[in-house]
Amino acid sequence: MIAVLGLLAGIVLGLIFKPDVPLGFEPYLPIAVVAALDAVFGALRAFLDGIFDDKVFVVSFFSNVVIAASIVFLGDKLGVGAQLSTGVIVVLGIRIFTNVAMIRRHIFHA
Amino acid sequence: MPAREPLPEHVTTPLLTVLTQNSLDEDYQHAADERERQGGGPPSSRGVAAVVVALFGILIVTAAVQTSRNAATDEAGRAELVGQINTRRAEVADRERSISSMRAENTRLSGTLDELAVDERAARNRTDELGAGTGFRPVEGEGVRLRVDDSPDGNKDGRVRDEDLAVLVDGLWAAGAEAVSVNGQRLTNVSPIRNVGEAIHIKSVPLRAPYTVLAVGNRNTMQARFGDSVSGIAWASLVNSFGFEFSMTNADSLQLPGSQTPTLRSAERAPEGPDKEVGQ
Repeated sequence: MIAVLGLLAGIVLGLIFKPDVPLGFEPYLPIAVVAALDAVFGALRAFLDGIFDDKVFVVSFFSNVVIAASIVFLGDKLGVGAQLSTGVIVVLGIRIFTNVAMIRRHIFHA
Repeated sequence: MPAREPLPEHVTTPLLTVLTQNSLDEDYQHAADERERQGGGPPSSRGVAAVVVALFGILIVTAAVQTSRNAATDEAGRAELVGQINTRRAEVADRERSISSMRAENTRLSGTLDELAVDERAARNRTDELGAGTGFRPVEGEGVRLRVDDSPDGNKDGRVRDEDLAVLVDGLWAAGAEAVSVNGQRLTNVSPIRNVGEAIHIKSVPLRAPYTVLAVGNRNTMQARFGDSVSGIAWASLVNSFGFEFSMTNADSLQLPGSQTPTLRSAERAPEGPDKEVGQ
């Protein structure tokens, strides 16, 4: 419950302040969002499994975001930024789908 | 070859399967197991998690706002580019039209040029003919050579005068001469023979005796026709009266110079040649 309130508060804050992303970070923002999405769905699944842990969530959230962004950054430097982003998104996407499937099983028992 | 141990499971499992199986961070399970071993107890407070989720919300909104903002810019840029493309395409079409019209014009002009070249060649031929006939172009051919000198007795009446030479030249024209020169001065339709003081001038160039008159024409008939012509008879009587020295011989090849092309100052070419004389 408190997490949902936090999410709403974050969305409202973002809508109010509309923070400007520095131009250098702009290409990594979408990847960071997808990585964060993966962490959040993982946390939700862990919560439903009854094994949620704050510390693990915080660490996985930030490490996911930082690693995804740095992989893409490295790819940009090597000239394969687009391909590496595709790879990162495929992996994260598969994880998200699986986690969402598990969440669905918990909620609908199906 | 010794029997090899079977490879560990995480090596043989296909990548996609690994991804699917490990979709949940193993750390959650790990932490839960750890907690259980230490005697359970509820997980710590959810405050930090809420803050991180709020951060996640901000992140999502920021990304969305950024994307929509960029979309507007991109759309504007795209529309601008499309506009430029259309403008350029119209320009290219214009240029192509002008190329084809220029090409047609070019064909037409080169046709005109050909016609003009033909005309020019005809005009040059005509100029050559006219120049030969009127005395402005050098000519060569058979003819007669005449030599005239003052009377050897030194009498003043025995000098050859302009009108005498004019009679001689008239006789040559009448005898069918096609080109006449006197002491190297070609006679044209506008070259007068006249006395200035005692010297004879042709086209304002003074001549002195003896006078060599060259006439291009049919040498078989010219001498006879000259003798028969009115001016020829008059000339013969002049020779007899004043005692000029005179000789006339046929020549195989005479070369007559051309006269300078006259500058017409008053005469202009009429656009359509008048059929009759018109005076104002």
